[in-house]
Amino acid sequence: MALLVLPIVLALLSFLIPQKLVRYFGLAGALSSLVVALGHLSYFNPERYVSIFDPNKLFPLGLSFKMGYDGLSLTMVLLVNAIVTIILLANFAKELAENKTFTALVFLMQFGLLGVFLAQDGLLFYGFWEITLIPIFFILYWFGQQNNNSVLLKFFIYTLLGSLGMLLSFIVLGTNVQSFAYNDLAVAGSFMASKMACWVACGFLLAFAIKIPLFPFHTWQPNTYTTAPMAGTMLLSALMLKMALFGMIKWMIPITYNGFSEIKWLIITLGSIGIVYGAIIAIKQKDIKTLFAYASISHVGLIAAGIVLFTQTSLESAVIQIINHSIVAVGLFFAADIIESRTGTRNIYELGGIAKLAPRFAFWFALMTFVSVSVPFTAGFIGEFLLIKELFMAHWVTGLFASTTLVFGAVYMLRAYQVSMFGTPKMTSFEDLKWNEILVFASLTVAAILIGISPACIMNFVKPSIEHINELMVGSLNFIK
Amino acid sequence: MAADILLLTLISLPLIGAASISLFGKNLPKTIVGTLATSMIAGSFICAVLIFLNLPKNQIVHLFSVVNLDDFKLNASFQIDSLSIWMTLIITGIGSLIHLFSMGYMSHDEGYYKFFGYLNLFIFSMLLLVLGSNYFVLFFGWEGVGMCSYLLIGFHYSDLEKGTANSVAARKAFIMNRIGDVGLLFALFMILGTFGTVEYNEIASKIGELEITSIIPYVAIGAITLCLFLAATGKSAQFPLFTWLPDAMAGPTPVSALIHAATMVTAGIYLVVRSNFLFELAPFTKEVILYIGLATSLVAAFIAMRQSDIKKVLAYSTVSQLGLMFVALGMGAYTVALFHVTTHAFFKALLFLGSGSVIHAMSDEQDIRKMGGLAKKIPTTHLTFLIGTLAISGFPFLSGFYSKDEILAHALMHNPVVYGVLMIAVTLTAIYMFRLYFLVFHGKFRGDSHTESHIHESGSSMTIPLIILAILSVFGGILNLPGIFLHKGAHWFNDYLNANTIGLDLIEQHHLDASQAILLMVVASIIALSVMTWAYVNYAKRGNLAKADEELAGWEKVSNAKLYFDELYNLLFVKPIEFISGSVHHYFDVAVLRNGVFGIAGLVEKTGNVTRKWQSGLLSSYLFWMVLGLVVIIGSYIINK
Repeated sequence: MALLVLPIVLALLSFLIPQKLVRYFGLAGALSSLVVALGHLSYFNPERYVSIFDPNKLFPLGLSFKMGYDGLSLTMVLLVNAIVTIILLANFAKELAENKTFTALVFLMQFGLLGVFLAQDGLLFYGFWEITLIPIFFILYWFGQQNNNSVLLKFFIYTLLGSLGMLLSFIVLGTNVQSFAYNDLAVAGSFMASKMACWVACGFLLAFAIKIPLFPFHTWQPNTYTTAPMAGTMLLSALMLKMALFGMIKWMIPITYNGFSEIKWLIITLGSIGIVYGAIIAIKQKDIKTLFAYASISHVGLIAAGIVLFTQTSLESAVIQIINHSIVAVGLFFAADIIESRTGTRNIYELGGIAKLAPRFAFWFALMTFVSVSVPFTAGFIGEFLLIKELFMAHWVTGLFASTTLVFGAVYMLRAYQVSMFGTPKMTSFEDLKWNEILVFASLTVAAILIGISPACIMNFVKPSIEHINELMVGSLNFIK
Repeated sequence: MAADILLLTLISLPLIGAASISLFGKNLPKTIVGTLATSMIAGSFICAVLIFLNLPKNQIVHLFSVVNLDDFKLNASFQIDSLSIWMTLIITGIGSLIHLFSMGYMSHDEGYYKFFGYLNLFIFSMLLLVLGSNYFVLFFGWEGVGMCSYLLIGFHYSDLEKGTANSVAARKAFIMNRIGDVGLLFALFMILGTFGTVEYNEIASKIGELEITSIIPYVAIGAITLCLFLAATGKSAQFPLFTWLPDAMAGPTPVSALIHAATMVTAGIYLVVRSNFLFELAPFTKEVILYIGLATSLVAAFIAMRQSDIKKVLAYSTVSQLGLMFVALGMGAYTVALFHVTTHAFFKALLFLGSGSVIHAMSDEQDIRKMGGLAKKIPTTHLTFLIGTLAISGFPFLSGFYSKDEILAHALMHNPVVYGVLMIAVTLTAIYMFRLYFLVFHGKFRGDSHTESHIHESGSSMTIPLIILAILSVFGGILNLPGIFLHKGAHWFNDYLNANTIGLDLIEQHHLDASQAILLMVVASIIALSVMTWAYVNYAKRGNLAKADEELAGWEKVSNAKLYFDELYNLLFVKPIEFISGSVHHYFDVAVLRNGVFGIAGLVEKTGNVTRKWQSGLLSSYLFWMVLGLVVIIGSYIINK
């Protein structure tokens, strides 16, 4: 339980810490939560489910308050804590790091995210899902660009609308069995007529499609990313959208499987279109953050399409790709922010020659670029390979769509890197990386390479929980007691 | 030592070199970095020789499983057989020579340590490519060499004049290669789907069990082989994906020699030879390969006729020679193709290093119109370059003579028309090579006096590799002497490869009878000699010089403009994609989707505006609506009843 409570304690504590120490407190707090998560990992057996909170009775409305984790959830928990630490490290030298409210909001965000990944109860999942909206809204509102109100409103209403669909789906499921516990909902789903189950799936889909975002629900994303402060963009792309991908794996598909097959190909089609669509638009973008935002749409389209196939391989490789996407998102948006904060522009045509002025930055940014185009020895290589393979096996046309990411990814990433970093310098100076910035890039790269060399580690780790989800779907409900 | 330990050592040495140089190289003196990198590759070469001397029969060295799924495994495992070890010998052998050469060539470069780090990493990836025991490891290496090639082509990205051009060339190479890679990816998936494994050995044995009566596997194999060939056209610069290779000459010259002549570009040939068991069942694909190879060979030779950059001539020559190898593959003459890979690696590496030595001497000038009369000033380079030129032109009894002759002989047996077209390409090769040779080394010096005063022969670290490669270019043909000269030891290379390579042992061998073989050799020799004489008279005696770009007309202009392929691709692919990218964003993403969402929001607001008016606060109005409602309800009730 400390796992979940710690961030909320940290959030409250950050108001009591003297201003000067806030940045150290933030970093230390994030690190301590990472240590707690690692502690859980050291006792964990991937074959088992670990309960961290279970009052063992039903509360009004059918709430069960069950929380716990299996291999998949623990992977996501570790991802959250690691990425939050890295985000605070990246933010460390900024003025923002000294802000108490900001630090508290990040921890509140972490609390919400952890809750989403730990919840074993539908209403609880929904509740945490909504809680995350509050800190991100205020981070964007208080610390983002000043004139972003309309962008922010759009983002907020759009995601709320999506959540409404999910809430309705949960209510439909929960009222059938008078309980919102995960396995009760699964039972409710398995007894549901396929047409009804399909509607329930659509409700979930609305929430997830907007959050991921799937084509054509993505229009909130590029603007929100560009007007958000760096930490906000990172939280959004590296962690928040993973809630939706996780939700698809754990909640939407297994519970509504009766009716899900009706919309399966719809999602695969949308995902495949997104892969090509995001990449093609990214090719000509001038604003480096917008470019990365569209690239992200392309990448998550592939993950979403892979998840929907719902085979053992596609899910395991989707997890690899989820982690890889977090690494790439943090790395690239960090690079974009370094460029913006030091030159005052995000337009790549106003940049150039940075490699000469800041060789260390050029080196690490190049590494992140290579991680992003999934060269061998990086996490994306094997993840992309397996996902495209699964899509190809499902239908060769989707495979073809998916494989364009190989070519287009190289086109837009190398172009962005080259135009901004090479050529004649258009500025007189560019401060090279500081220690915390190098540390961020280095830890991301090391993670990408480790996963790239031994993806089997993670795949074997999440394998039992994915198998359990599959078993759950076929009706043997003895996994979660 | 056991072969498996040697193999792992030989693979890991370049990786260790790459890692240690990129970590510590910055603070080490240049000589140490260079020596370290070179000795790593030389160490690999020694291991390869040791394995070669005591070659086990088709041995697999299993390291670990990268991915272990229910329906298939992706293993990091390696294959020891004639083919893989032969490729390893070429890569590490030529690789060490080129590393040695680079120690001199790059000695003034700031990025010295980075260069050697990349070069070692390249060798490592290339070794993975040829030594893997399955298509997955091959794909891994395949992507790896693409990345290293990108890094090395764009190595001088910060050059004031050419920096931008260099990095554009690097990007072009990477992207065109990636298009081919999609083919390899698809082939891999289809292989997994058809055979359930990606291991060469297992696929070959499953093919042996295939039902002859069923047609389905043949369709699948046809598709697989076409995709594999698409990959090969990317990496080996064949039509239509060949335009990146000449641009790739933007990289430092040792890179051109190693990657873009001797090793990486032959990966496509290796892929086809390795997959011979698949291609043998796909006659249609083989025809495609044959004619694409033929077309590439001719087109590239034609373009090379009027190039004025010394490296561009050699680059198009490489494309043309690779086309020749694909012609051999298309005819099912796998060992012949590989024989030409070998001799080509010798003489083309020699020519590129020679050109590097020339460029070094000329203070980085690459335009042959500004050279001339270099023979006396740089004698070693001159002599070795001459040997390379003779070898590639098919001068009798040099290495290129034998390997080319084998391809021609097969072509004659296969189809006289193919033979005829090949002879044109071969003649063109001799013409442009001698044109190059005479323009560079004979006549008067045409550059400025400042450059002239700097001309000097390169140091020994550069000339020694040249001499070794020259010796190999002369005697390389001994590997595979045709049967007419002696009976013992003839076709050694053929027998070596066929004995211990998956699939190749099953393929029937064809050899021309002696009289035909001699006739072909005589014809080839006559052509080579007469072209040489003509070129001597034309360029050296009469002093006909290369014209300036503006003076070119007719076919010369077309050749100089590279047949307008770049312009064509720009028009067909680059521009449309940029157009689509811009217009989709502007007219769909923003205009339709984004505004659509705002439109929906606006609609809600408008509805609110309209409905708000109903809430007027007037009691009479509410009463009216209530009565109206009642009337409707009662009315409908009565009607339904």
